[in-house]
Amino acid sequence: MTFWMRRCAPLLLLALAAHCLAGETLDRIQGRKELVEVVDPDYPPFAFLNDSNHMDGFDVDVAKAVAQRLGVRLRIETPSWELVIAGHWRGRWDLCICSMTPDQRKAQVLDFVAPYYNSPAVLVTTAQNTGLQSIRELSGKRVGVEQGSSYERYLQKDLVIAAPDAKALSYPFNDVRIAPYANEDLAFQDLALGAGRRIDAVLSNLGTASARLDRMRGKFRIVGEPLYVEPNWVAIDKGDPQWSALLARTLAELKKDGTLARLSVKWLGKDLTQ
Amino acid sequence: MLMSPQGFFRLRVLLVWASLLLAFAAFVAGFELDFSVVRERFPNLLGLRLNPDGALQGAALSVLVSFAAMAVAIVLGLAAALGKLSRSAIAYGLATFYNSFFRGTPLLVQILLIYLGLPQLGPVPAAIPAGIAALALCYGAYLSEIFRAAIVGVDPGQWEAAQALGMSQGATMLRVILPQAFKSAVPPTGAMFISLLKDSSLVSVMGLWEIMFLAQSYGRSSYRYIELLLTAAVIYWVLSIGLEFLQAWLEQRLRARHG
Repeated sequence: MTFWMRRCAPLLLLALAAHCLAGETLDRIQGRKELVEVVDPDYPPFAFLNDSNHMDGFDVDVAKAVAQRLGVRLRIETPSWELVIAGHWRGRWDLCICSMTPDQRKAQVLDFVAPYYNSPAVLVTTAQNTGLQSIRELSGKRVGVEQGSSYERYLQKDLVIAAPDAKALSYPFNDVRIAPYANEDLAFQDLALGAGRRIDAVLSNLGTASARLDRMRGKFRIVGEPLYVEPNWVAIDKGDPQWSALLARTLAELKKDGTLARLSVKWLGKDLTQ
Repeated sequence: MLMSPQGFFRLRVLLVWASLLLAFAAFVAGFELDFSVVRERFPNLLGLRLNPDGALQGAALSVLVSFAAMAVAIVLGLAAALGKLSRSAIAYGLATFYNSFFRGTPLLVQILLIYLGLPQLGPVPAAIPAGIAALALCYGAYLSEIFRAAIVGVDPGQWEAAQALGMSQGATMLRVILPQAFKSAVPPTGAMFISLLKDSSLVSVMGLWEIMFLAQSYGRSSYRYIELLLTAAVIYWVLSIGLEFLQAWLEQRLRARHG
């Protein structure tokens, strides 16, 4: 072999091997006896740092149940959301039970295994703002949302729900002004100043909104019925069909024996896993 | 006189500090804050306990990453400064490209290029080495300009005197110029170190549990966001004051030795 072939051949083999991930995740999990799960660490009650400095929440408990089924330990990693949805995890993480909603862009780099709960979207306003009964009355008013979230896209009348039985969305409002925030907490801080001061309402999901309302009694209230429902799926890095199949089977078992429903009631107050 | 003029000056400065701190405290007191949630989480924020995976967290992690990055940055900065002063086209080209790229691109982009980009070529770096590498490369570029200015600032007469004594370029640089340049490089380098300490919060994108990550996570899980962020700010401030004392001590030592 020539000088350069000897140097480049291993690199080429490495590049080719990177495409053959099948079974690699399972080998790694079995070998280390450890499942590595990623969560968004700032998303109570789905995933958050509790008083004893451990990650806790609905997503975390579901991951623990999966790890228990597989007979391995669970380790939780908290990289930023952008890193997770960029794909190409390179074996750093095994799965993402992290309240992810599927869309075409994410599907290019991740594999979505199965839905595990539904997120109803609700409008939240201050407790004093008793007049507000539905989103129709918010014409010309400002609604706070997390930047880049599906709630922002809904207010832009540009939301596609990635579920096989999804009906076309109706947008029963006109001229609602969108106030994007880096995160939900900032939106709720501004809402707490009073409806109409900076914003009039916040559009968020029932899970996080209920948790917030429980902790801060008397400050906010939920307006009317949920506007739409989004399914949240479990995601893994692209290119490992064996892992995907095993994970799907495990989740189906957890659903059948009522574990998912039980956890949903524990953390979210009702069963959102159907 | 009860007190020397310097003592009286220091007393007045202390009074100014005290009144400013009181004003800040009064400003913050008007926020309706509840710091009880901070008390239980404070040891974790400081890094006095390990996280559930047995890894360093909090201020201890930030300090580790910052000191390691600064050490490497000083080496890189010196190399790049000498490269830019060199007559070799390769050294000059490398140094100027390195300076331009690592000062011109955002630190976050650099961290991600190392953490996400390097695996494309094979090696998959862990979070702490990737963070230290990115911070060192970025701050090395800034330090190189500081070092170059300090080197150029040494009296040209020193070069001539060394040449007259028959010293080689390398020996002159090492034994005459650099020791003198060191003194004027200390204040701006100290400032860079303080800046690096706060930039180290960017390593949280890779999942490291440093101060800002913990403060934000606790803040969001306890719904006491501002209290936790204020606590993080105070921790950074105290660490920076520590670095300021270190810098002052170093300047004092150099003044005593070289006058």
